[in-house]
Amino acid sequence: MTDIEGISVIIPVTERIGEFPSLFEGYRDALDAVGCPLQFICVLDGKFANLAEEMKSLDAKKHSVEIMCLSRTFGESAALNLGFERASYDYIMTLPSYHQVDPKSVAEMVNGIETADMVIARRWPRRDSILNRASNKVFHTIIRWMTGAPFRDIGCGARFIQRRVLEEVTVYGDQHRFLPILADRRGFRVIEIDLPQSSEDTRLRIYGPTVYLGRLLDLMGVFFLARFTKKPLRFFGMVGSVLMFAGALILFVSVVQKYLLGLALADRPILLLGSLFLVLGVQLSALGLIGELIIFTHAKDLKEYAVDETVNFGIETEERNDSSVTEDNS
Amino acid sequence: MAAKWTLRYHANCNQVERVNLNSLSAGPELSVVVPVFNEEDNIEPLYEAITSSLSDGSKSYEIIFVDDGSSDNTFGCALRIANQDDRLKLIKFRRNFGQTPAMAAGIDYANGNIIVTMDGDLQNDPRDIMTLVEHIHQGSDLVVGWRHNRKDKLISRKIPSRIANWLIGKVTGVPIKDNGCSLKAYRADLIKRVPLYSEMHRFIPAMSSLAGAKIAEIKVRHHARVHGESKYGLSRIYKVLFDLISIKTITSFSSRSLRWFGLLSVPFAILAMITFTWAIWITVENGTTIMVAAGLAVIFGGGATFLLICGVLSELIYKTGAVRPTDFFSSKQFDGGERK
Repeated sequence: MTDIEGISVIIPVTERIGEFPSLFEGYRDALDAVGCPLQFICVLDGKFANLAEEMKSLDAKKHSVEIMCLSRTFGESAALNLGFERASYDYIMTLPSYHQVDPKSVAEMVNGIETADMVIARRWPRRDSILNRASNKVFHTIIRWMTGAPFRDIGCGARFIQRRVLEEVTVYGDQHRFLPILADRRGFRVIEIDLPQSSEDTRLRIYGPTVYLGRLLDLMGVFFLARFTKKPLRFFGMVGSVLMFAGALILFVSVVQKYLLGLALADRPILLLGSLFLVLGVQLSALGLIGELIIFTHAKDLKEYAVDETVNFGIETEERNDSSVTEDNS
Repeated sequence: MAAKWTLRYHANCNQVERVNLNSLSAGPELSVVVPVFNEEDNIEPLYEAITSSLSDGSKSYEIIFVDDGSSDNTFGCALRIANQDDRLKLIKFRRNFGQTPAMAAGIDYANGNIIVTMDGDLQNDPRDIMTLVEHIHQGSDLVVGWRHNRKDKLISRKIPSRIANWLIGKVTGVPIKDNGCSLKAYRADLIKRVPLYSEMHRFIPAMSSLAGAKIAEIKVRHHARVHGESKYGLSRIYKVLFDLISIKTITSFSSRSLRWFGLLSVPFAILAMITFTWAIWITVENGTTIMVAAGLAVIFGGGATFLLICGVLSELIYKTGAVRPTDFFSSKQFDGGERK
């Protein structure tokens, strides 16, 4: 690869850490073979800060290593963002801090970047337990159903990204997992390549219920961002009007029953359900309207399109895409 | 020629760009914005039809094709023409974003004083462009095309559109007969201020009129589709319905939203009072409380309170918001740098 002038490699240490020095050396040797300068950035989340001393002894050979610590536990997205800020090359690779993929194979991602803006790894063939694979499959089926993104392993931390993607797509909270989906929504070409799963990634992982709940909520957040950001009322209004209709129907039937069958209203707990639905439906619609108002008043900041190229505007395309002019003319 | 650069302020996306003064000095009077999506067969006829309709030389013009992430060779075809004629300008999207974003991009990038938008499928007739522009010169802020002799399928296109237009007219009080017609002409300083997102292009006439713009609706020609496929299925009435509710709320009520939400909460407050009195009355009468009656009072009372709080919240949003529905047409002069 001659047109890559360097790669910034970000290794966020946030959840688990494997046999780090040997893993690091594996990454280093694999990427060294690409033949361009490397900048390693290890970002330690707060709870791993005690590893900083140990990390200083990492041997990057001729390449540079930076160790950064977050002051407290902020999570992976924050660690990645810090790494992105420090990265000085236009090609940025993120790598997991524990054995997810075979370290020898990570250089394969570099070949994919010629035709794509972002290359993500899919652990394949997999060596882990049936249970993990099944939950993974379910998770990605839900994602495909919700967002239409065809990815099969967004949990894998090995990614190779062009800088322009990160300039437009930002992640926060626990959204780092969904970076490929968000990039895809902005129209970047994201491809998935198979990297063999590391033989040490085979341990059966069972997470607590909060992890799964958290993931589900993140998923809902991304789903909402992907589908209804600009039109919150379409979502809230749809759910709200179904509820309102159900509530009104229940109330109507019970009132009819009172006058036809003489059933006393005060004895019918279903009245509570009906009026709850009705009120809830109105509340949801009202929230949708508030959402619409927020979108409208901020519409000027939300650019809804992403321009790839322009012709004959008297401005060079590259200049337009890369310009980060922030002055104004007032 | 040495390139001279200046900064251009894009009001719609609140961005400043470096612009070559050499190209700016030749700013055209008219910009024709055409979103195209998978129209490789239509590009050339479209270009020729537009140029021939504008060829009498009375107006300098630019044509902006916005390629909305076509999967066919639309961009290649357009590029071939653009290399020979620099009045044809192209914007290529990274992927398909939809018709409104495509129009918004074209409008953001347009340099003309008058902007005309039209469909890329040759169903609009470019010969109508000058008629529309004429009306702008006569003092209209916005001229809407009306496809009075529409050549489309009755069931899947015309009837849903008829219903949608009737609804939009009823709710907004602006009886435009054909909101869906893409062929429209605008004063550039006006349309560059309108927030265009999602499928808002359908509501531009209604929003503009509520904000005091002068609108003309004139009959335009409409042709049956020759090349390519129609991009719409059966019109999604429910989307129009919800969009309409939000437009109505935004344009008419947002400046006094507390009062509006307060009004909405009145029925619930009344219901709460009735059920509360009922619950008390039964308790006094029988000596025992009936939970159903008490519960109803609580639910309705809670609902009414919630709506009031929503009203307060939207007052806050309106006060702190960057765009107010009523102020995008307030001044006739384009004051690029003023609004932040």
